[in-house]
Amino acid sequence: MPSTPLNRICYVEDDEDIQRIVRMSLERVGKMTVEVVSDPLKAIEAIVAFGPELVMLDWMMPGMDGPTLFRKMREDERTRALPVVFITAKASTGELNELLALGAAGAISKPFSPKDLPVQLREIWAKLP
Amino acid sequence: MTDASTATQHTASRESGIADDIVAALDAGDPRQLLADRVEQLYRQLPLALAAPFLIAVIASFELWDQRAKELVMLWWIPVFVVSASMTALYWAYRRSPDPSANATQWLRWLGIAALASGVNWGVAGAVFFPSHTDEQQVFLAFLLAGMASAGIPVYAASWPIFALYSAAILLPFTYVLASFGNRLFAEIAILIPVFYMMNVAVAYRLNQVFQSGYRLRHAYGKLTEEHTALNERLEQQLADLTDAHREVAASGRKLALFAERAPIAVFEMDGNATILEMNPAAENIFGYPAAELTGRSLIRMLMPSDRGVLDRKWWEVFVASLQPASHVRTQCVRRDGLEITCEFSLTPLVNEEGDLISVIAQCRDVTQELEAERLKKEFTSTLSHELRTPLTSIIGSLQLLNSGVMGDLDKDMAELTSVAERNAQRLLDMINDILDIEKIESGKFTLNPETVALDELVRESLVLNRAFGERFGVRFQALGEPVKVSVHVDRKRVLQVLTNLLSNGAKFSPEGGAVEVGMVRVDGRVRVEVHDRGPGIPDSFRGRIFSRFAQADSALTRQKGGTGLGLAICKRLIELMEGSIGFTDREGGGSTFYFELPIQAEARRSQAA
Repeated sequence: MPSTPLNRICYVEDDEDIQRIVRMSLERVGKMTVEVVSDPLKAIEAIVAFGPELVMLDWMMPGMDGPTLFRKMREDERTRALPVVFITAKASTGELNELLALGAAGAISKPFSPKDLPVQLREIWAKLP
Repeated sequence: MTDASTATQHTASRESGIADDIVAALDAGDPRQLLADRVEQLYRQLPLALAAPFLIAVIASFELWDQRAKELVMLWWIPVFVVSASMTALYWAYRRSPDPSANATQWLRWLGIAALASGVNWGVAGAVFFPSHTDEQQVFLAFLLAGMASAGIPVYAASWPIFALYSAAILLPFTYVLASFGNRLFAEIAILIPVFYMMNVAVAYRLNQVFQSGYRLRHAYGKLTEEHTALNERLEQQLADLTDAHREVAASGRKLALFAERAPIAVFEMDGNATILEMNPAAENIFGYPAAELTGRSLIRMLMPSDRGVLDRKWWEVFVASLQPASHVRTQCVRRDGLEITCEFSLTPLVNEEGDLISVIAQCRDVTQELEAERLKKEFTSTLSHELRTPLTSIIGSLQLLNSGVMGDLDKDMAELTSVAERNAQRLLDMINDILDIEKIESGKFTLNPETVALDELVRESLVLNRAFGERFGVRFQALGEPVKVSVHVDRKRVLQVLTNLLSNGAKFSPEGGAVEVGMVRVDGRVRVEVHDRGPGIPDSFRGRIFSRFAQADSALTRQKGGTGLGLAICKRLIELMEGSIGFTDREGGGSTFYFELPIQAEARRSQAA
């Protein structure tokens, strides 16, 4: 369990409406600091610039999908150690298991409850080594 | 066909039986029947044997009357009457007897006695009258006696011993008188009489034989006629049966031909090498070949030239060797115009009683469009579900944030409206999830994550998790009786889904303030979880399709209570995927009990873990 409580989160998501809801949920309900990135191709730079404690990735995005971005992050020195949580409407159990095996910290299914989202993230955070 | 051949064999054996009967009849006949016939013949002659001697006696009396022997003649008439009366009585008794053939020997004996009496009467008369009369009268008497004796031949021919007795009785006294007369001529005649007697008896004997064989022939003929009539009747019956059978076969043949001709599916008849013998118009339509072009050619070579299909030469060899029907064989086929289609075949080998293959009947449907429709449907559901979920995520998320109060308090009316919006958005989402679930299950893409689960704990958990839902309907969820502490090997999330579904159904249909009770029982190697409610029960018309898709008893109620009509269909499929079963019964005292059963896992592990 990490020594500090979860505070800084970076969210990569192309849908603006969902971006807004997640931001409100995490900021208002969870009292966290949130940075939202719309373009997955520029995500790694944005993440490095913001310096989050945890990254949330959408699964389906134009340009690059979540799993690909996740693999790219694993290849990059600067983002390799960051815990990643997928937020998805689509993934099958098999695919999720594969990502968890690759090192994803967790997965939250869409539609999520904005009321419960900060709690879910903190639970995942608490389980990290 | 089997019946007919059996009947033929039967007839054949009957025919040889008849031939045997005829031979037997010619050989011996029935001796009792023969005797009865002879006795009947003898009695038929009796009126003649009665009337003729009586007439002759009258003539003889008239000839002898004028002389001195008047008293003697009158005295002689006493035995004449006695004999005639006795014979008449005998004849009358015979004719009155209900079944004279049963007692033929007795009747023959009586007739023999009567004939002997008659013979004695004449013989004694001859012997008494002969010496006392003139030469002319002696000639008359000799002539008369000879006539009487030989007249016995036709009358008693049916029994030569009776004739021998009768004739001897006439001739013996007369011969004695002649021999003792002292006249050389008479003595010589007396020597000749036994010779004539012997000859007469011999003739009677021969005649007797002729009669006998005549009787035998008649019997044989009678029997033959009888058998022939019976045989004829039987043949006629068989002919009628055969005609009927033929008509039936022809009718069913026509029916079959009509079926094949009018059927919308292709029908082929093939030999063991897949060579097409016959095909119907639907087959012509599906494959675009006229029948004349395909008949006599190999189905596989003509219609399945590519190697991609299931139904190839190898497959066919295995199929023909097995002699077992094959269904739902999907394979790629090529039409005459080169178009590839997917066909589904059902193949049935026709085998005779000896187990030899007669032909193969193949029925086939073009399922190309069906498969394409299926594929499109799947694509549509999955895309639709995903595309619908994304905006729903925003809608539900926004409404939840509003309703949670983190954005500040809403006024009462606004709060009510946003709650309505959230609830219905949630319902829409549930429906999409259900559709996705059932689509996945039915397309076989659904995967379970089975693990060892303590079912009693899972049941308790479901009661806690659904408490809030029950409260919305004013219904309590509570355990009934002791939980059964067992482990099952199931997908925990999915069993919870089933429990949630059954509980929420129970809550929706229970009266407000009521309780939905959950019990567990052990049923031979399985554990049954029962969810009891006090609702209105299941209407009869709904019972058969309660586990079908989009099944709901009352659509008005649906709008009121919510639900997609897919819940129970999903539950049934999920439970069956986990090797369990699901069902419902009426609950005693009103309401329903829905239950599911799951196989219990080896209990040793559970107790060790505990």
